[in-house]
Amino acid sequence: MKKFNFTIVGVTTLALILAAVTGTRAKGDEFGAVVKTIEQFYHVKHQSIPFLGRAGMKAATTAARIRGGQYRRLAEAGSIKVAFFENQDFNSRGGITNFKASLTNAIGDSWSLLVQTLSPKNEEQTYIFIRNAGEKINVLVVTLERREGVVVQVNISPRNLALLMQSPEDMGKAITNDATQNDN
Amino acid sequence: MKKLLQTILRLASLSMLLILLAAGAAMAQGPRLQTSSLDYLAAKASQTVDVNIDEHLMQMTAKFFSSTDPDERNIKKLVSGLKGIYVKVFEFEHEGEYSAADVESIRSQLRGTAWTRIVNINSKREGSVEVYLMTTGDQISALAVLAADPKELTVVNIIGPVDLTKLSELEGQFGVPDLGIEPPAKTKPKN
Repeated sequence: MKKFNFTIVGVTTLALILAAVTGTRAKGDEFGAVVKTIEQFYHVKHQSIPFLGRAGMKAATTAARIRGGQYRRLAEAGSIKVAFFENQDFNSRGGITNFKASLTNAIGDSWSLLVQTLSPKNEEQTYIFIRNAGEKINVLVVTLERREGVVVQVNISPRNLALLMQSPEDMGKAITNDATQNDN
Repeated sequence: MKKLLQTILRLASLSMLLILLAAGAAMAQGPRLQTSSLDYLAAKASQTVDVNIDEHLMQMTAKFFSSTDPDERNIKKLVSGLKGIYVKVFEFEHEGEYSAADVESIRSQLRGTAWTRIVNINSKREGSVEVYLMTTGDQISALAVLAADPKELTVVNIIGPVDLTKLSELEGQFGVPDLGIEPPAKTKPKN
């Protein structure tokens, strides 16, 4: 009976710790949680520091082409978070769909999955999550290929989102290019 | 006493089953198709595209298109009133990688009285293309397309006032693939 009580106390404590951890994540660093999930799932390591400099937070003239039309700045200045995975092995060993479950669990309920493209044979996958942030929209893009990956989080205006929505399949590429291109 | 308990349990199970069936039927009659039964195909498919534009996003999108720019004005008009666009496309390397049961899991939801299949539809695509409309009174409240090629399975579900003209204009936009659907020609009234 005593052993049983200890088990209950143990399980309850563990549940409380897990709830606290989940609660902390829900309040903020989903970008970090996503990067960590990729690292844990694929046993890879991200590089962020050299590229964060390169990503050019001044965000003056970085642009992306939207549906062959005019060039526009997409990401709001100072809002860009980027994590790169270069020259690493993204091999899901047939479990690419399991990765999605880990990812959606990591990002939490406040984000909606807008677009998902998968190509299991080539180990290519793109996920675009969005979240309302007052007058702006938070967009988080995860792009993984066989040997490299990028996670980008930016704030964009609803108008830019509206324009990008016309071609949701190209949206991830446009945002990633915008966030990682340095044309200073 | 034991018998009574067993009877109560049986009745409770039966009631639960009936409630679940009723809920399932109600869900199947809604404009939003449940496509999660197809999700397992993503592991088999050579390419999967899944687009989910919900009502909030749809309305926001419509709001931010310019009314002065002619192109944007057209798009604004096209998407105004829409309450969602949901698209799932599975492309396969070989034939027979999805089953008739997979198609049936979607088709069965479209068999209710709320949905009407449009029969005189032509598509430039190979395979079968089925188009369904849901109407509420005189208004179209949703549209569904189920396109099954030997190597491709597509489900498009547009919620809101959308007709075939609108569908063909939406092709290639907002995640709606090119379905090659030709709206039925209007027949001239006989004199």
